[in-house]
Amino acid sequence: MSLSLIEAVLLVFVLGCAIGAAVLRDVLASLMAFAAYSLGVSIIWVMLEAPDVGLTEAAVGAGIMTILFILALANTVRPQANGLFESISVRTVVLVGAFVVVMIATVPSLPAVGADGAANPVVSGEVTQYYLENAYADTEVKNGVTAVLAAYRGFDTLGEAVVVFSAGVAALTVLRQEVFA
Amino acid sequence: MSSDERTGLYVESTIIMTTVRLVAPFVLTFALFVMFHGANSPGGGFQGGVIAGSVVMMLAFAYGIDAAREWLDVRVVAALASGGVLTFAAIGLGTIVLGGNFLEYHLYEQFISHVVAYAIELVELAIGGIVASVAIGLFFLLAAGFGHAVDSPEGES
Repeated sequence: MSLSLIEAVLLVFVLGCAIGAAVLRDVLASLMAFAAYSLGVSIIWVMLEAPDVGLTEAAVGAGIMTILFILALANTVRPQANGLFESISVRTVVLVGAFVVVMIATVPSLPAVGADGAANPVVSGEVTQYYLENAYADTEVKNGVTAVLAAYRGFDTLGEAVVVFSAGVAALTVLRQEVFA
Repeated sequence: MSSDERTGLYVESTIIMTTVRLVAPFVLTFALFVMFHGANSPGGGFQGGVIAGSVVMMLAFAYGIDAAREWLDVRVVAALASGGVLTFAAIGLGTIVLGGNFLEYHLYEQFISHVVAYAIELVELAIGGIVASVAIGLFFLLAAGFGHAVDSPEGES
């Protein structure tokens, strides 16, 4: 697998931001690193030709999540930071390291990026091919993702929408408010 | 948390207010574009809804959260959220009434031609309404802080 320069830079950036979000002692700095991480990941999604996911990551991960985190932070007491980095315990490093090793072990079983035909069971799979061939005739939308989201898997999407709705209702209930705002 | 502490969060800035006033219409237009055009290009209700919600957050940052809260009618937020769920469910269940499966859009074809594309568009808008209103609601709830939730006695609810 060969990386283009921009991909390599993005990966290093995302990795750095992820580590920064984990080890920075100041919560606000950690939040900023997390937002930058989300933005980097969203660009990676676009480069991997998944613009729908990239848009979601940019809007939700880098946008709304950061705003909500900052608001929560503004409503809590921000501890005075001593030193730039959190002290890191060996146990945590071992645990996280083991998790990373397990995740990396699954990578070789994934099809190569951009692989086509039999080399990529995701693309050549029966379901994917059915969607690609019939999506426009069935649903009259050109974006296959939307066709799956709103038509073929519409029931799942209704569930997702209800989950978002329930999140709002749950927040109202927990905070004992009767109206938003 | 006392109210004067909270208003301390807001700093009036001509630069931010002017920028937001300029940018907000374009962001809202982009949100609607993402929602409406999601059928033919990347995007859809979830993404467009979040972008639409962020317009209100931008206004709140520029003009103060309390001012934005007063400006925004809570009934609109509630109507968007529950109306979205009801619209989506109604479109889905309507096809069952017509004797088909859940969300079998083609059954509406007898009333309107090319209804599938329109129905998907309507579903995306419903999703956008839910996501935008919940994002706005969570924003205002978090901004209000948890003071009053703690202050109110246990048995009151």
